[in-house]
Amino acid sequence: MTWDITGMAAVANIGASPREIFAALCAGQESRRPLQVFDAGKYRAAYAYEIDDRPEGGDDIPRRATGWLTTVVRQAVANAGLGEDLSQVPVLVGTTMREQRSLELWWRDHADVALADLHFGTALKATFGASTTYTFANACSATLYALGMATDMIELGMADTVVVAGTDAATESGFGTLDRVQNDIPDALRPFDTSHKGMLMGEGAAAVVVQRAGTGNGPVHARVRGVSINCDARHATAPDPDGITRAMQDAHRRAGVRAQDIDLVMLHGTGTPRNDVTESTVLSRVFHGAEPGPRMTAIKAMTGHTLGGSGLLSLLMAVLAMKEGTVPPVLGLTDPIPEAVGLGLVQGTPAVGDHLNVAQIDAFGFGGINAVTIVEAAR
Amino acid sequence: MTETTTARMSHPRTREVVVTGIGLALPGVATYRDLLGPLPVEGGLDPASELRGYEMRHKDRASRLALRAAEFALRNAGLTDAEATFTGMADATAVVVSTNLGNVDAVCAAADTIAREGTRGLSPLGLPETSSSVIAAWVAIRFGLRGPNLTVCNGVTSGLDALAWARNLIVAGRAEAAVVVGVEPAKEVAMRLLCAPSIDAAAAVVLEPADAAAARGIQPRATVAGHARAGDLAAAMTAVGVTEERSVGLWLAGEQDAESGQLLAVTRRIDLEAQLGPLSGALGVLQCAAAAAHLDSDATGNVLATAGGPRHDATAALLLTP
Repeated sequence: MTWDITGMAAVANIGASPREIFAALCAGQESRRPLQVFDAGKYRAAYAYEIDDRPEGGDDIPRRATGWLTTVVRQAVANAGLGEDLSQVPVLVGTTMREQRSLELWWRDHADVALADLHFGTALKATFGASTTYTFANACSATLYALGMATDMIELGMADTVVVAGTDAATESGFGTLDRVQNDIPDALRPFDTSHKGMLMGEGAAAVVVQRAGTGNGPVHARVRGVSINCDARHATAPDPDGITRAMQDAHRRAGVRAQDIDLVMLHGTGTPRNDVTESTVLSRVFHGAEPGPRMTAIKAMTGHTLGGSGLLSLLMAVLAMKEGTVPPVLGLTDPIPEAVGLGLVQGTPAVGDHLNVAQIDAFGFGGINAVTIVEAAR
Repeated sequence: MTETTTARMSHPRTREVVVTGIGLALPGVATYRDLLGPLPVEGGLDPASELRGYEMRHKDRASRLALRAAEFALRNAGLTDAEATFTGMADATAVVVSTNLGNVDAVCAAADTIAREGTRGLSPLGLPETSSSVIAAWVAIRFGLRGPNLTVCNGVTSGLDALAWARNLIVAGRAEAAVVVGVEPAKEVAMRLLCAPSIDAAAAVVLEPADAAAARGIQPRATVAGHARAGDLAAAMTAVGVTEERSVGLWLAGEQDAESGQLLAVTRRIDLEAQLGPLSGALGVLQCAAAAAHLDSDATGNVLATAGGPRHDATAALLLTP
């Protein structure tokens, strides 16, 4: 079974649509910015990849993550040729932080925020009349988890059309705790490069419309071949190679593909030494014998870590890469870590002229929750 | 679409999923059978003594409560040995946690600390808690459960929704068993958000396919027969197939609303929150435990559990049958 992706939308620091973001990734200009509203004196890290949409004057406002979410959901359903009445369409939202930034603004600054604002069903009801809505706080694999469960709903006959979306705004508690635990403080997010020092947060949202094969009104952007979801059950924050290996192998099995069938891998690539070493070691093993092996890239070097939505954002970039036959480079990657040397990481300028048919997208979250998706070009 | 999606939510391709274990960790409820009578009763969780020990070190309160309830539920399902080690299929056992307030105190405390003394004042041990997924991770780590790991933060319907997603994971073949935990800690920020005092509450149930339970010789406590999250109570009830009043022997209602009495005139109606205070993400799983108590007893009829309503973004309904 495959599932059609018929609608796509995204917003991030480097663009307000999947095409804008893809073009920026290909252009490869440094995109980090000094912290926009957090008190720089309180943190060691000075940069992040925030969306620059706060009002003039510098104060933060609540519900930015919710605003991006309703925007991308509206754009994705329009892109799929559907109306804005989602009363009969399930909406599955993956997130790391929910509206915890709004919670902080309520607690610290008495912003007008209620318990019902913490999950996204409240806004989806008000905006689209949607009731079959779910907020999954599944850390940084949340949107690929949600995609997997959306394909289950269609397979089980519970729906023909499901909207899958993700959103996250940077929080002081999250940014700050990361700031506390990282040994070296990164100036920029540099996945798989020997200069990598750690992760910096980004902000963003992404949405897709997933439909039972052949039931949509418009063109099909790509087809989901399979999504694996599992858990390391090993460590609260560190990744585990065994769990990640199982996730990749299960995704291949579900999609009915072998390692040599995969043309492109969108890496999780957070820029933490622990992630980068673990992920590239597992990939070297999984793709051993599949030479020359797939192209690989990692978008967080330019978007920052957009947390819950990052997996879906990577997926959208994979879809556009397959459409264009172009793979954006990993910004700042000049000297790959030893574990990544044999991988087909794109450096410097975009890799053009490839025939890309099948892509793998990785997303790994805190708590060892892993999701791997296989998508196929629709031609 | 000619047929509504919500209506079809309740009829996925059938692989019957049943409740095989129940575990509670909350004060004022000693056993799940107490949930049918007036509450609170004497006994139940003593947070001062029962949330300590080696396994609880460096874990947040919600995770501790969840670990207790999950341990009891797995034991009750016959899936642990004398050392409380999991003996089931670890690669195919899912963890599904429902919580809305689990880490809200940690988030606000971190923001306070940063404002006061910068990030150097934070404890590195607080890192897992910044993510709401921490509770499900600790449950998976404690019992080595490597199947899907899901955290549902979906407002007052979360617990019922979590049960439905656990059932989906089993019906879709992604899991052969699931531990579902609804948990909320009684902490300051949580209570301020709830605008009411609340209690520490965790409830866990184990779900398995009926055939797997039968193969293990386990008597099912309840069957998860249908779930819907819909715009109002009438739509949710229709979607789960509650059209005949006689079939429902117990209605585990959420908040009262004016019309609800007219929709379903059942002989017995229990509002757990009216007795225990707001339960938020713990409610639905506790309702499932209460349903099992009803279905265990001499009483007749199915159990309808509902949550949400006009003051919320949806109403969820879960139908439990023998």
